[in-house]
This record gives sequence, structure tokens and C-alpha cells, in this order.
Amino acid sequence: MIAISFIFGFFLALTAEIIPCGPFYALLHPDFVALLLLYWAISGSSELSFTIVWLIGLLQDMVLGDVLGAQAIAGVIMIYLLYTSLGRVRGLPSWEQLFFIFLLLLTHRLLVWLWQAWAGTITWHFSLLLGPLIGALLWPLFTLAFDYLRHTLRPRHI
Amino acid sequence: MPALFFPRRYPPLLRVAVLIVLSVFVSVFSEKHSNIESVSLTMAYPVQWISMQGISFWQRANNYLQSRAALASENVRLRAELIRAQPKLLEADILRNENRQLLALLDSIPQPPGKVAVAQVIAQNFSPGSQLLVVNMGARAGIFVGQPVLATGGVAGQVVSVSPMSSEVALLSDLDSSIPVQPTDSDTPLLVDGRGDIDSLAVPFQPRNTSLKVGDRLVTSGLGGRYPPGLNVGTISAVIHNGDQPFAQIAVRPAVRLGQLSTVLMLWDRPSPQPVVTP
Repeated sequence: MIAISFIFGFFLALTAEIIPCGPFYALLHPDFVALLLLYWAISGSSELSFTIVWLIGLLQDMVLGDVLGAQAIAGVIMIYLLYTSLGRVRGLPSWEQLFFIFLLLLTHRLLVWLWQAWAGTITWHFSLLLGPLIGALLWPLFTLAFDYLRHTLRPRHI
Repeated sequence: MPALFFPRRYPPLLRVAVLIVLSVFVSVFSEKHSNIESVSLTMAYPVQWISMQGISFWQRANNYLQSRAALASENVRLRAELIRAQPKLLEADILRNENRQLLALLDSIPQPPGKVAVAQVIAQNFSPGSQLLVVNMGARAGIFVGQPVLATGGVAGQVVSVSPMSSEVALLSDLDSSIPVQPTDSDTPLLVDGRGDIDSLAVPFQPRNTSLKVGDRLVTSGLGGRYPPGLNVGTISAVIHNGDQPFAQIAVRPAVRLGQLSTVLMLWDRPSPQPVVTP
């Protein structure tokens, strides 16, 4: 059940990232897959495997048409950084987690950007900062919705 | 979540390091072998298919919910547009006939007309590093790498990778994109490069005393043989002569609204006439 909702969630997140809804959405939408990974790492009961994070990133690279490996390595490093301070982050209420989330999403986006820059040219763009900010601001809403979903989807034993 | 491949007893830093090395390897490998792109595009198709279903469902719902008044006013607007377009169509017919006669007079090789097909955009990825669309036509529909892609207004970009069911289009604003153009009123060969910005392209390497000015229209020059000549590319929106820069900075507003494409035209250009070599 958990595996199915995990896969389904990532499918949805990936779809949300590529759906063509005009230039504003395309530039400013938060990185849904990274948000979902963070949620899973913070709220999940067992440790997330780095290999699975890497594979998800690779699939994301394929779907987005980026340089292969960019999202993969950004995801792995983001989750690794999260795990170095997981104890502290877990204890905080979700609106205080927001700052950690912002830094992690920013790291993720900058890593992807650097990886692309390594393969091509470097340009700075405001969406590099704004995307993670919007993602972090959505974080409390995101955790609330997913906590609710998990609560209702949990198998009940009478 | 089971530990795939890696036993948990290795320290996390080691596992991350191995994955970093693996990523570098994958990146370099995919850059070297361009047919990897076709494989990854095929892998991505299920997700893109779902996205496409989502869009078409939304459009259908939107059509269904549109009010009668809105439909009527749209009908009136479209009819007016049709009436306005009618003389232009006639003119185009006349010109086509005239062109054919002139070509016949020149003993030129008869050219079959180019073919155009409408494709739907099923995914987009706009980041500063890449400005890509994925459309729902692929190798099975005869799409090939390097094919020109048009939209209302002019050139939108070109196909960069093809899978059986879908293909990836790099827009003119993509960082790697560059298109040979010329102003409508002269034959100066120019390039228009993408800068990763959806609303603004650039003409590189023009001297500071360039004769280009704001408002000049740029069309494809046909050099390089990838795009047919005479297609709209954009209008020069700013020319900045900055004292400490070696070149003038020229910004071009694309003729197509690159950010809002939902359908594009795939163009099969007529084969270029073979030059006749006389000894």
C-alpha cells in the first residue's frame, strides 16, 4: 500500500512539473518531486534509500529532458544534507521547518543549475531563487495535506 | 524502504560519493552518445501521456462549461477574422501562381510544396538552462532531428531528439539555440541566439556602430539549410551601445509567444534544389 502510494505520488509530482500551463507556471512552480522526497524523508518511518532517490532523480531528468544525472545528484545531496540534521528538523513544527526546507530546495535547484552549467552556459535567473521560496512557502500546506492523506489511507485494524 | 544495491552498513557519505561518481559517469556517457536521448524520451512517454490526458480533459471540461454568450461572441470574432484574412489568401494564391510561372520561365527545377502537420504540446520544461517542449508526434509520424517547428507568428524552434511517439523541441530561447537570420530590408547575415529567457533573444557579435535599429524585423535567411528562408523570427526590441562592451547588445522579441504554445506546426520543407554544375 505504501509502495503504491509512493509510486503514484511521484507520478503525479512528475506530471505536475511538466504540465504546460503557460510561462509563469513553468518558471515559478516549486520542485514537486523534491518536496515529496523531503516529506517522505522527514515523515516516513524508515530511512529513504539513497539509491531510490537517485533513480527517481534519473527518471525526472529523463522526463524533463535535462542533462542526465542533474536532478539525480541534486536529490541525493539534498536528502543527505537533510539526514545530517534530521533529528533537529523533525522536532520542529512545520512552519519552522519552512526555513530548512527553503535552504534544502535552494541547494537542490542550484545543484541542478550548476550541473546544467557544466554541460552548457551559465546564466542567472530570478526563478532560481523564487522557485524554492514558493516551494518552502507551500510546505506547511503540503505537510498538512499529506498527513491527512496518510491518515485516511492507513489500513485500520479493528 | 529496502536498501537497494547498497548495504546499509557502509557509511552514508561513502554511498553519496559513489552515487556522485555514478552521476558524472551517466552525464558524460549521455553527452557522448546522443541516441541515449531517444531512449530517455521513450522512458518519459508514460508521464507525458498522463499530462496530455490531463490537459485534454481540462480543455473538454472548459469547452463544455463555456457559456452560450461567450461562444457566440467568439464566433463573431472568428468570422470577422476570416473576412479580414480572405484578401490575403487571394493574394497568396495569385503570388503562388505568379511564382510558378516565373520559375517555369527560369527553367528551374519544379519544387514540390512543403508539408505541415499540427502537433500538440504535451510537456514543457522552462528553466534558465533549457527551454524545451515535448510534442506528441515522433519518428512514427516522420519527425526527424533538426526539423523546423513553427507556430502562429513564425519560427518556434527545432526538433532536438526524437522517440517513436514523441519528440523534443528546443525553442529559439534555449541557451543552445541559434538561428541564421537577416533583416527584411537588407541581406546582412545575422544570428539570433537564445539566452534562456522566454521573451527575449539576442543578436551576438555586432559592432557598436551597427546599422540595426529598434523595430527592424528579422526573418530566416535560409543559410545553413535547416530553416527555409523568409520565416518570421522576431523584431529588434532594444539596441544598447555600452561603452565598455566590445559589441552592441541587441535584444530581439520573438515573433511567436514562446511561453504560451499549446499546438505547434511541424514543417517538412521541400528538398532544396540541387545546384547544377557545368564543367
